[in-house]
Amino acid sequence: MAIKLIGYAQTLHTRRVILTLNELGLSYELEAITEIQTTRTEEFLANKHPFGKIPVLCDGDFTVNESRAICRYLVSKYQKDAKIVLIPNDINKASLVEQYISYELSYFDPPLTKILIQEVFNKRKGEPTDEAVVKQAREEIEKVLDVYDKILVGKDYLNGEYSLADLFHIPCAHYICTATPHGDVFDKRPNVKRWLNNLRNRELMSPYTI
Amino acid sequence: MAIKLIGFPQPPNTLRVVLTLNELGLPFELEPVTDIQTIKTEDFIANKHPFGKVPVLIDGDFVIHESRAICRYLISKYQKDAKVVLIPDDPNKAAIVEQYLSYETAYYDPPLTKIVYQELVIKNFLGKPIDEAVVKQALEEIEKVLDIYEKILEGKDYLTGEYSFADLLHAGCAQYIYADTAHSYIFEKRPNVKRWIANLRNRDAFKKTYA
Repeated sequence: MAIKLIGYAQTLHTRRVILTLNELGLSYELEAITEIQTTRTEEFLANKHPFGKIPVLCDGDFTVNESRAICRYLVSKYQKDAKIVLIPNDINKASLVEQYISYELSYFDPPLTKILIQEVFNKRKGEPTDEAVVKQAREEIEKVLDVYDKILVGKDYLNGEYSLADLFHIPCAHYICTATPHGDVFDKRPNVKRWLNNLRNRELMSPYTI
Repeated sequence: MAIKLIGFPQPPNTLRVVLTLNELGLPFELEPVTDIQTIKTEDFIANKHPFGKVPVLIDGDFVIHESRAICRYLISKYQKDAKVVLIPDDPNKAAIVEQYLSYETAYYDPPLTKIVYQELVIKNFLGKPIDEAVVKQALEEIEKVLDIYEKILEGKDYLTGEYSFADLLHAGCAQYIYADTAHSYIFEKRPNVKRWIANLRNRDAFKKTYA
């Protein structure tokens, strides 16, 4: 039985899982959710996600939700048969990958998500953009990327070799570059720019591009 | 050489590492940070944490930071010699633990952190008035989250059925609500959540950490 991914390919969380499936060379079926009401039914809340969120992954009889948990599951189960190492087996190397995964969650994602909400999601709903929020979020991400630019000196990827930590950064960064005018925050820092180009070239190999 | 943990002694991100060390039965030395300027020096930023943050763990020659990454490191290295299984080896069981870890960061922690920040930092530490609107909105949010946890915990003592790293991370935030605010009723009024939090707070490692 194939892996089934329930989600919406245009959202960051679903894309995180799609990237991981693609990197691991796994075939899967995408069950697209386009109506939010589908995720609010009693059945969905009882059997798929009690908070009514997507994505949800079904692998045979096994169901798991939350995008980062799904990605970790796929890596722990299928990495050994894949051509790629997303989380190293060596404990110390794996822990450094975890460190960079924590950076993504704590420092990288929050300000960029604020920008996406203002520049993309609010516009789609016909709501105004709060320029003060965008300005503050830009200042925040610029400080974060100053640190990233030092971390990436002489490195193509955060931990030296491509890992799940780099992958987790892709969806947000790609959306900022393609759907907002704020891609300059990456382009003006040479190491960050190189890193992101490396990542986005992998992204473009996926059939699901924005 | 003992494990060394550098951090401010009280905040949740230090204490979640301390709780993990205690659950795994690992001796360690806490190097408390008392002056925030210590963690903003060039040396600290170059060798300990590029964002000038704590906690940082040093295990022999190995240096790692970010509290959840530190905890995962300790679990992957020392769990096999410990009396407790915090992340199961089986990929399916581990995945469900990861799912609940994600709930903790996405749904549980944010509203509780807002409440604790108002009560502990703004009111107790800085002596300023609480922003009642923020606390009211955060309480509404966490009550909806705990309604869902109440269903998840039906017939279970712990989130996956057995104690795991997911429960460990939820315990710390709850403790601040009990110890430093008048809002513990949010847990107490839901019988499954109440039982779960009581189990967590009764663990030896928890009592040792939050004594």
